[in-house]
Amino acid sequence: MKPGLAIQPWGNYSLALAASVECLRVEPWTQRSTTPETLRLGVEASPEFACLSFKACTGHFIKAAQEGVRYGVMVNSRGTCRLRYYREIQQKILKERGLDLYVFGLGYDGIKPPLIRHFDPDLLPFLQCCARAQQKTLAVDALEKEAWRVRAVERQPGDATRVLNECLADLDRARTVPEIRACARTFKPRFRNVPLDEARLPLRIGLLGEATLLRDRFLNHNLEEILGGLGAEVRNFFLLGDEMRNIFRIGLFSRNSRWRLKRLARPYLEHLVGGHALDSVAHALRCAQEGYDGIVHVAPAGCMPEVSVRPILRRLSQDLDLPVLECSFDEHASHVGVVTRLEAFVSMLRERQENKTRTRK
Amino acid sequence: MRTSLATLFRRTRNASRNPDSLRRPIGLPQALFHFLHPGLWETFFPALGMPVVRSAPTTRATLERAELISETEHCLPVKLLDAHLEDLAGRVDRVFVPRILSLRRGFISCPKLAALPDAVRAQFRGRFEVVTTDMDENRRPLEQTLAELGRALGFAPADSAAAARQALAAAGAPDAPPDGKRFLLLGHPYNLGDAYLTEPIVRKLEELGVAVERLPTGPPRGAPDPLRWDTSAHMLEALRALSSERCAGVIQLTSFNCGCDSMASTYYRETLKAAGIPYMALTLDSHTALAGLDTRLEAFVDSIAGRA
Repeated sequence: MKPGLAIQPWGNYSLALAASVECLRVEPWTQRSTTPETLRLGVEASPEFACLSFKACTGHFIKAAQEGVRYGVMVNSRGTCRLRYYREIQQKILKERGLDLYVFGLGYDGIKPPLIRHFDPDLLPFLQCCARAQQKTLAVDALEKEAWRVRAVERQPGDATRVLNECLADLDRARTVPEIRACARTFKPRFRNVPLDEARLPLRIGLLGEATLLRDRFLNHNLEEILGGLGAEVRNFFLLGDEMRNIFRIGLFSRNSRWRLKRLARPYLEHLVGGHALDSVAHALRCAQEGYDGIVHVAPAGCMPEVSVRPILRRLSQDLDLPVLECSFDEHASHVGVVTRLEAFVSMLRERQENKTRTRK
Repeated sequence: MRTSLATLFRRTRNASRNPDSLRRPIGLPQALFHFLHPGLWETFFPALGMPVVRSAPTTRATLERAELISETEHCLPVKLLDAHLEDLAGRVDRVFVPRILSLRRGFISCPKLAALPDAVRAQFRGRFEVVTTDMDENRRPLEQTLAELGRALGFAPADSAAAARQALAAAGAPDAPPDGKRFLLLGHPYNLGDAYLTEPIVRKLEELGVAVERLPTGPPRGAPDPLRWDTSAHMLEALRALSSERCAGVIQLTSFNCGCDSMASTYYRETLKAAGIPYMALTLDSHTALAGLDTRLEAFVDSIAGRA
């Protein structure tokens, strides 16, 4: 039997991440989102003021260890944010509880990350695997964009989500790069079959903030679907495809390269903060340029980088006449509370939209 | 290269101004970065010939004001900075807020401090101008930072360098610790340094008849292992040097929502457990009730007396 490898749940990207470890001859152990049970386990074990992402991920590892998984993998960032210490503290927590799960760091520790060194895959399968994971990531990005667009104007609520899930299941089954590409080509036609309400004018809302919360549907209380159901076309600004390019320094001049974002954010923020704080500021400015109706800023409560740029977002919102809803999540966030805030936000945006069209006439 | 060009540009722009405008007063909030380098900025700006206007020391009113005007999820020291800055608004037309990136080579500072000047500019737009500089020991030492700041403000290179030396000499050495067995008050310099926050605790401990030492301010000395945040690493280093013969217990003052402490406390607890030293963490926020603190301090001191 292959040993298990626990990977942090990261929304629909989880299937791409799972594909990336195939060549290591391990069984990926992941979920598309955190579950109430893993979150509970994480909250019990984590330091009180740790952020929600840490608690969720710790819970995931504890659950994995209880199920007999022996290994886990965690990003080992070199940034200024708390993420840097996640791996080590999670390892301590697991050890204290007598759980036997070794967490590999995925970071700049010599040329080969420790995970690769340990499992030592052959070069060719490894490269193939990387290519597949990359293709799957891009396919997920393309798929989500379609779903966001369709969900806002679908005639039958739930259609877009259903098609999205079908596509994801197919994508998960696709093994080789040509298969993945062929699968990705079917996405658009499938969404074309969803009956749309052409008369409806969707609002455009940008989602920005911290990466895990933006992508984990359980932790963010399914923001994307709630907003979509209220007739808003969301655009989630965390795209793993772009993030990977930034990590590997590919495409310096591409649209979302760190360099471009830094230049964009300069009038409001002159220095990198850590995490995705600079990206949030830059993307908020981009939303204003592209005529979005509003922004939802998503962060775990007390997130160090995101909270420190909130005064900047507030100023930017006033300067550019762009409403920003600040949503902080922790384990006590109530689903009803989140829905109410989103509904109020959307109805305010709707009113602004109507006022604008009226004055234009 | 970019920085030096920008500095050059600013220098020529400032030099063309009226020399009197160079010597306009500058506001210094008595919060956050003030406690990281005590005495440094209060010496540096007057040495250049710029009068300094300080904000009033923290009081209950400052705390309440901070809660009203600042971002809700900030930690107490950053909230207090906002209230101190508001106190300066209207009294000066420019204030100083540095961008603190690293206090010692090889270490980094809390990410909240990296966005500080921009956040202050965003919040207090139109009320004062923000003078800032990057304090990054990984890129340049403090003396150079100060000298370049002087030049960027339009002063002659020789004057700037002299003011930098004077300021560094004034940022004094810490007091000698008391003799005998004592309690250590642990915390970030900006929490320990603010008399309003620590005085009641020190006073209470003295009432209970125990000697207290505050952790002296200063950057960590050794290599970053495992903590890279400078102030947290400094605290961990101090704890590792403690022995149970000299130290009766450690009381940590942490501010609510402090991201650094949320991670670093794991290491503090582990270190103190191994050394057999009792440890208690007190969380400070603007709602902290003194009676509650008193009770906890009494209980802690009593329980240690009971152990012996």
